[in-house]
Amino acid sequence: MRSHLLLVLLCTAALVAFLGGQGGAAPQEPQAEPAPAFVGGEVCATCHADAADHLKGTPHGKQAFASLGPQGCETCHGPGSAHVQDPENPALHPRIDKLPATVQSEVCQKCHSGKSQFFWHGSVHESRNLSCISCHSIHSFKSDTGQLKAANTAEACVSCHKDIRAQLWKSSHHPIREGKMTCTDCHNPHGSATPKMIRAASVNEQCYTCHQEKQGPFLWEHPPVQESCLNCHTPHGSNHIKLQKASVPYLCQQCHANLQHPSELLDASRLGDRPQGPDGESGAANRLFNRACSNCHAMVHGSNHPSSPYLAY
Amino acid sequence: MSTMQRHRKLFALFSVAAGAFLGGSLRLGAAEVQYLNTDVDTDSAKFEEYRDLDSGFRLALLRLLGESDDRERVIDFRVINAPRDDARYTLSYGRAGSYGITLDYNRIPHNFGNNGRLLWTRTAAGRYEIPDEIQRRLQTEVGFNRPNLFFPFLNELLAPYIANADEIDLGIQRDRASAAVDFGGMRRFSWGLEYTHENRSGTRPFGGSFGLFNATEIPEPIDHDTDQAELSGEWKGAAGGLRFGYRHSRFQNNIDTVRWDNPFRVNDSGDPLGILAPTPLSIGGSSTGIADLAPDNESNLLFLNGRARLGAWWVNGGATYNQMEQDDELLPYTTNRGIRLLNDDGTPFDPTIPDTLPIRTAQRESTRMSLSAQAGRRFGKLWDLTFRYRLYDFDDESPRTEFPFYISFQASFVNRARITVPYAYRTQDATAELGRNLGLATHVALSYTLRMVDREFREVDSSDENVFRLALDNRPTDRWNIQAQYEHGDRSIDGYNPLAQLHNLSIPDPLITTHPDMRKFDQAERTYDSLRVQTQWAATDAVGLSFGVSGRDESYDESIFGLISDELLEYNAEVNYSPGENLSFFLFGHRADRQSFQRNRESGGSPSEDPADDWTLDLDEVTDTWGLGINKKFAKRWTSEVSAQWSRSDGFADFFSPPGGEPDLAEDFDDYDDIDLLALFGRVDYQITSHASAGLSYRWEEYDIESFLLRGLRNYMPGAILLNADNGDYTAQILGVNVTVNF
Repeated sequence: MRSHLLLVLLCTAALVAFLGGQGGAAPQEPQAEPAPAFVGGEVCATCHADAADHLKGTPHGKQAFASLGPQGCETCHGPGSAHVQDPENPALHPRIDKLPATVQSEVCQKCHSGKSQFFWHGSVHESRNLSCISCHSIHSFKSDTGQLKAANTAEACVSCHKDIRAQLWKSSHHPIREGKMTCTDCHNPHGSATPKMIRAASVNEQCYTCHQEKQGPFLWEHPPVQESCLNCHTPHGSNHIKLQKASVPYLCQQCHANLQHPSELLDASRLGDRPQGPDGESGAANRLFNRACSNCHAMVHGSNHPSSPYLAY
Repeated sequence: MSTMQRHRKLFALFSVAAGAFLGGSLRLGAAEVQYLNTDVDTDSAKFEEYRDLDSGFRLALLRLLGESDDRERVIDFRVINAPRDDARYTLSYGRAGSYGITLDYNRIPHNFGNNGRLLWTRTAAGRYEIPDEIQRRLQTEVGFNRPNLFFPFLNELLAPYIANADEIDLGIQRDRASAAVDFGGMRRFSWGLEYTHENRSGTRPFGGSFGLFNATEIPEPIDHDTDQAELSGEWKGAAGGLRFGYRHSRFQNNIDTVRWDNPFRVNDSGDPLGILAPTPLSIGGSSTGIADLAPDNESNLLFLNGRARLGAWWVNGGATYNQMEQDDELLPYTTNRGIRLLNDDGTPFDPTIPDTLPIRTAQRESTRMSLSAQAGRRFGKLWDLTFRYRLYDFDDESPRTEFPFYISFQASFVNRARITVPYAYRTQDATAELGRNLGLATHVALSYTLRMVDREFREVDSSDENVFRLALDNRPTDRWNIQAQYEHGDRSIDGYNPLAQLHNLSIPDPLITTHPDMRKFDQAERTYDSLRVQTQWAATDAVGLSFGVSGRDESYDESIFGLISDELLEYNAEVNYSPGENLSFFLFGHRADRQSFQRNRESGGSPSEDPADDWTLDLDEVTDTWGLGINKKFAKRWTSEVSAQWSRSDGFADFFSPPGGEPDLAEDFDDYDDIDLLALFGRVDYQITSHASAGLSYRWEEYDIESFLLRGLRNYMPGAILLNADNGDYTAQILGVNVTVNF
């Protein structure tokens, strides 16, 4: 199978060579009028006083921006003389939101190319044709921080990720809807070197930033725990305790059903409310109530006890 | 001095200090004081799982804003929900593009259950005791009535003690303080320093069973301190940049162990069948249970990221190296002095002293390393090409340590050596993605990923997964966009070794076998298909509509036992209406239908070969989520807000077992975690002056859970002593009186 990798690399190399000769056939694009000259921010403010005044209270109204963008408004919007000469012509409006997404982002990336935006190129959001102004607004933002179009980070994210919004309302959830953490605590929406835009180098390393007691390494390990917390947990919300993908004990039995008690059928006849038998026996299985398997296997993330190879306490 | 006076003085002091520091002015941005009157019909901890909504005053919001005279330096101090358990205080100070300092103190409650019944008395940190005379009395009763050790007898025996037991609320408080300093801002060189300290304290439920026919629940004492510090630097050039840094984290558990008395044993017993107690088979076991709680640990992380423009190509990548270790002192094999062992030479071997362990401390160390690289370019205005490669390597560098035996549940000696296993794995993802613009409005991308995993000591040594992805992003008009993605994955493996789970046996034991056809889903062969389509349409400036469908179908067809399939299908729809500043409205709905199927075969000490022993399980859960919100301003001075959220989950567990085997019949249940949550909120405010308003708010919540795991739970049930803390249904009403100032 891994020989496929070489084949794919060869094919893509050929593709690069082929594509290198392409590029002349550009799609039809509206002809932008040439904008030969900068007019200065003061000229812009004569008509757009509200925008200019609002900007002063934001980082883009400070000296630091002035030093990085000596053209003022036109640093981002481009030379405005054509618009000044014919302000009613919509084709000459220097509106960034009308530009292709890649061009929009290039405007911002002139300054915002480091720190959180370090991995913007190649990120999922970039490759799906989103741009900075898909989420942010320079002139009319609603959030207290980050100049977002939405009131806060989570709302900005769920405006597209509708499935995640629904999951956040499930019984078992991280405290996102309570406002105690937010999407960007784990994800970097501008891109990262890790799949799913996880901030850390892996899912587990991300989880350990808050759940460091699970990090170990332990004397007795549970190998799927080391590989990915997502083998058992679904972080955005679950109907089952502890953000489990499926409820215990059945989640455990998806892997542990070899012999002895893990292989037992734990159906309704073993539930805790079953009537007691005449001899006082109960059908209730102690693997099917309360903490289920972890009634005994309490150290499921790893144990440090010499007598606990089966991850009991 | 009252709390209010104290806060007023603190505010005045802070204002003067901040104003002087800034050389400018500090003003009140916003403040909202609320009085809450809360009425909850139960003591369920679920109501305040992550929040503090008790009756009383709270400072829902305070925001102080300041600027230096030249408007270049700004300060922003924000307080939310002071002085409650869910308060947050954030102070930011900085000069845009030059430097910034952020201090944050975030209090996060996490409540697990109220009014639990604690049979024990906490006598020290990590110690729960029952008076010896009670243990002695119960042990005597159990000894005299050994043939009757079933539910009715044990229940009656413990009932008076349970009735008089102390109550305990289970929950932890997570208090996180952080400081972040950024020097350099947008300059060529910049530096960042972050430090976080977190303390977690409280209790959470913990399984502390004394044997196979027993289920005991105790409160795990939590007192954790975590410190994390990161120093990072960044260089930005015209054609690229570098980021580098070091991160250290240290976790300290201030309560290393928890020890709790066995109510049925006042003295230790070495009965080899002790793990079956208390039943007619045994009344043995240890007088105490002891658990080694999360060990202290440390990690040291180095990272280096780079990006560059190389002609028409952009390139970026990163490398991290993370070393993790813990070397906690180990507990002895057991604390049960009733277990008497001999060395090979006949001399006594004491398993209750740590000196008899092969190692005294854990000596665990692992490393995690990642390398990633991405490169891409555009070819004219039509094509784009991206390559991605990522390697992640986890290596457990700990020594293999052999323990010649173990004591199960502090009760039974098991003469079988166990050896620690340094599991390791490496994943590699290689992706090529080709995109093409179709006109200005459409972008299509096709990608192929080869995902390779190599493992040590697990059932599958290596697996390859081919993943094909087709993505479409289309904007037919300025007001309409469509995003769609289809993905297909096919994972193959080089063979499955079911005996791999016996790697922790230092000596092969012919008595231990495994089911040859059992497959663990995280390693098994599989195929999957996933689809996601989402479209958003702004019908007018005021009306927006969106609709989406997504699904994922995972199939483990080659697995005979274990997880066989896992399917998810979701729909969502949303309507927004905002005709102007005075009115906004939204309504959304979402349905998720998840079905999984697993097959197992009930076996005893050796794998059954009889298909009649099979059983299967279909788990089906449907979750509907609805939301509604209206904001309206009316009669010039009035604003109102109404919102509603409803989430309803309906699960079903459908079992089947063919007749003639063991099991013979299978019975379904329909409360595979059925949960309803309805939250209604309304608020109306009257604008008294241009900066001040007052209003009322009302929140109504109803939470209802029917879980098969909670059926018939009592403090004592067959073989179980449970805390049985209330984390279930509630209906709550919260009336708020609000006074708000806003500048």
